Amino acid sequence: MTLHDFFAAPLSHEFMQRALLMGLVVAISCAILSCYLVLRGWSLMGDAMSHAVLPGIVLARFAGIPLAIGAFLSGLACALLTGYLHSHTRIREDTVLGVVFSSMLGLGMFLFVALHPGGHLTHILFGNLLGITDINLWQNIIIAGVVAMIILLKWRDYMLYVFDSTYARVTGLPVPLLHYSLLILLTMTAVAAIQAVGVCLVVAMLIAPGITAQMVCRRFSRMLIVAGFSSVLACVSGIYASFHLDASTSACIVLSQAVIFMFACLWRRLVDIHRSTARQSKALLGNTNTLAEKGV
Amino acid sequence: MQTLLAEPFTYMYMNKAMLSGVLVGLLCSLLSVYLMLKGWSLIGDALSHAVVPGVAGAYALHLPYSVGAFFTGAAAAEAMLLIKKFSQLREDAIIGFVLSVFFAAGLFIISLNPTSISLTSMVYGHILNIRDEDLWQIIAITVGTLSIIALKWRDLELVFFDETHAFACGLPVNGLRILFFALLTAAVVVSMQTVGAILVISLIVTPGATAYLLSDRFGRILWIAAAIGTLTSFLGVYLSYFADGATGPFIVILQSVIFLLAFLFAPKYGHIPQWLHQRDTLREKTT
Repeated sequence: MTLHDFFAAPLSHEFMQRALLMGLVVAISCAILSCYLVLRGWSLMGDAMSHAVLPGIVLARFAGIPLAIGAFLSGLACALLTGYLHSHTRIREDTVLGVVFSSMLGLGMFLFVALHPGGHLTHILFGNLLGITDINLWQNIIIAGVVAMIILLKWRDYMLYVFDSTYARVTGLPVPLLHYSLLILLTMTAVAAIQAVGVCLVVAMLIAPGITAQMVCRRFSRMLIVAGFSSVLACVSGIYASFHLDASTSACIVLSQAVIFMFACLWRRLVDIHRSTARQSKALLGNTNTLAEKGV
Repeated sequence: MQTLLAEPFTYMYMNKAMLSGVLVGLLCSLLSVYLMLKGWSLIGDALSHAVVPGVAGAYALHLPYSVGAFFTGAAAAEAMLLIKKFSQLREDAIIGFVLSVFFAAGLFIISLNPTSISLTSMVYGHILNIRDEDLWQIIAITVGTLSIIALKWRDLELVFFDETHAFACGLPVNGLRILFFALLTAAVVVSMQTVGAILVISLIVTPGATAYLLSDRFGRILWIAAAIGTLTSFLGVYLSYFADGATGPFIVILQSVIFLLAFLFAPKYGHIPQWLHQRDTLREKTT
């Protein structure tokens, strides 16, 4: 196989062009959001949210309204219910989260079997990037674009909130507004990403870019850029891999993210080793200098 | 009417399904109590995702799937520990990342050889056409786990409540922890066949959380959780016969309903009794 066959041949198919466009858009918005989620400690909130949208999607498909609306309402219900149950019982938050999202997942699967809304459950659960329709594509481009724009306009406010919410409140930022808007943005991103990689693997899209960037960067602004690049790279290589290997697209995207994360870990190790040897040699040099000054 | 109600019992496959459902429900609910106390509910979630590539790989290579499941379950635990050691990432991010990567690996293997195992039986479980050797495996694992818990439940309780104290008492803390994870992996593998990979999380979280709302004593929590797990699994399988629905989601919904009832009406920690109590005390104060 020549290089041309490998890279250009898939692009001659219209479904591949659409998949790449969709993957690109979803990858960027997920990457931006993941930096905030990972630092805020909301990684598992993303996981729960993405599972909890299932009943909404099934009902929306049954009623014939846009899937995004049903998914959004259902994700919001999960977030509010978790908050309510947690503040009124003595059960730990992670347990409450587990109870709520698994019940909603069960409810969604039950509704799917009971209502027969058409389509395949496996497409909702594991994504169907290569079979995406035009309407879904545009819908998701708009959702992802809005999410990315809101965050990029207010990225410093959200950053302060994520790092230190008390300080954010002291400086006069509207903290509750930031909290709930971030939750809403998370739900919207999850909705867009579900149509690309499916309910089960959205969590990887929402965590992997953030932790990869966190391994490599120390500055938040740089972290956003690195996360964006790693996410896009993973998406594109995943889609190509799935085309050539004839394997599940979402699985390939997530596995490429894992590979990129491993490289980031390796990079971190090398930098740490380099720094510690540099410090040691500097210390040695310092010692000999002081000795020389003392005239030994 | 009576014949209709007894109808499920006349079919061999329903009897097998009910038996395996009850055993799996019992197994998972006992373990859920320990998981919840330690705050490890999401580790259980991670484990249930992590065994998927093992099962898929074992099917592809014609090995017994518990071997594959144990192998990848241990690999996932090791991966989490390694990442934790070499980075300053938050634990929840690591758990979420590792579980999704392992799940993706499972999906990848299945999509490469789609004939070896069907995705739907992985997702939904296949409790209604469970094979005899699977049933024997479930019975063996249940009997083993029950006898270990019956003998060691206090030791495990101490390890999960207070590791330092347990260590000071001379208990083999690490050994007990590994034992517990082995039991959990076994339970996850068998429950994957009954309710499917992505609903296992409900079986190993909800009964424990519900029982915790109903009692303060550890021994009693274990009994209540076991009762809830057994009852919901049995009813889920039994009712799914009439509703013609998927069995796994049915069990999960029953468990959630019982959780909600406990949340509202539990005598001491329920929402409504507490609310009534608060209102009474307010009234006493004002009068």
